[in-house]
Amino acid sequence: MLTRINVGPIHPSTHGVLRLVVTLDGDTIVDVEPHIGFLHRGVEKLAENRMYMQSESYMEKIDYVAPMAYSDLYVAAVEEAMGIHPKERAKYVRLILLEFQRIASHLLWLGAFCNDLGQIFTMFMWTMKDRDLILNLLQDVTGSRMFYVNMRLGGVSIDLPPNFEEHANKLLDYLEKRFKDYETFLEKNPVFIERTKDVGILKREDAIALGVTGPVLRASGVNFDVRRDYAYYVYEKLHFIPQVQTKGDSFARYKVRMREMKESIKLIRDALKLMPEGDALGMPIKLISPPVKESEVIVRRELPRGEGMIFMVTDKQRPYRLAIRAPSFINLSALRYIAKGARYADLFSILGSLDLVMADVDR
Amino acid sequence: MKIKKEELIERLRELSRSGYNYLVKITAVDYIDHLEVIYFIRNMQNKKEENVRLDLKNGESLPTVIEIYKSADYYERELSEMFGIAIEGRDVKRLLIEKWDGLEAPLRKNFQWGSEYKSG
Repeated sequence: MLTRINVGPIHPSTHGVLRLVVTLDGDTIVDVEPHIGFLHRGVEKLAENRMYMQSESYMEKIDYVAPMAYSDLYVAAVEEAMGIHPKERAKYVRLILLEFQRIASHLLWLGAFCNDLGQIFTMFMWTMKDRDLILNLLQDVTGSRMFYVNMRLGGVSIDLPPNFEEHANKLLDYLEKRFKDYETFLEKNPVFIERTKDVGILKREDAIALGVTGPVLRASGVNFDVRRDYAYYVYEKLHFIPQVQTKGDSFARYKVRMREMKESIKLIRDALKLMPEGDALGMPIKLISPPVKESEVIVRRELPRGEGMIFMVTDKQRPYRLAIRAPSFINLSALRYIAKGARYADLFSILGSLDLVMADVDR
Repeated sequence: MKIKKEELIERLRELSRSGYNYLVKITAVDYIDHLEVIYFIRNMQNKKEENVRLDLKNGESLPTVIEIYKSADYYERELSEMFGIAIEGRDVKRLLIEKWDGLEAPLRKNFQWGSEYKSG
């Protein structure tokens, strides 16, 4: 006999407002139907009615865990439309801040994921504390802890403070040590292993067919990273290896993100060394934007949650159409295929390992 | 590449057979007198991308491509509710605005919203 269970929309493990209708046969999942849209704000429509740079702060609210990544994506699209190239130093500044943002985002995910698995709050406290140190650093730079709005056409709103490099290096050393602790704590932990290994396996072919992206795709053995394959800023000058695992289970997805954080540390260190002196400031926001040169732009960025893409059809003062490819949206659509046949208790291990931000899903 | 609506399934099948196996996004642009639907597809081997574009008259429907790209599921549902494009060949349930019974599709240019929200 089949049972239907309703999960959410308010539920501690759905990380936002997500409603799942789960059909069960005994303890085995037959079907999961996500109901989304509780946070739908119509970002794409709103952007069509605003001047180009008015939307920047709004774009950050799409993904409140990694806001800077989204404002970077949007500003890069506007830059491309107007034929503006970011200044050399600005590229480094952006890259450094974005990689810090990636670590902060993955840390929040790691803590919340362990909560879902029953590692109640030990990991969460640790990662939140370490994430806080990154936020402090970003606050030193931008003046804000959550929504930074520091990307400007051709650069950033404010350059790095004078002692940034010293602070950043100190923090990176500390984080490196902490990541080792995390790994020891988690990978020798029978509860964590039991609840992630061989859970929610997504095979390579399925991962491609389902269109999943980012760490979820790489955990299934697909070697694809926008930072390398569609290199932007100075990623091609820096040495980093996109992290790939072959198993495709929840543990592989954890492993990819864990190693990605370490790669980010390497990237930041390299970028700090290579960063040139000079001007990084972009244009101040004005109501009259520079003339638009392209009629259509496509911009891709590797956001912490996966590949983000903006397709923009331009008009004189505002976008005519702004289409956003949100990584969480497509990762969520794969949930029903991954969860099929799993045990009900594993549903949240699978859901958690996809790293969804509901505001990003609903836009 | 620009194609006709009738060729869509055939062309996408050809492309997916020749290695373009990853659907990045399906989206549409409302040009008031017609709609343009765009399929962004990628070859995961050599990372090449192809845009397949087609024009739709207002009120015309679109065949589903879910047989070729599984990931088209959510994108097609989004298209149908945001642009009011009917999808042939599958049951398309509402996705983002489930209980909303507005008449116009929100991303069409004729969608009216309160004047107080207009800026600029």
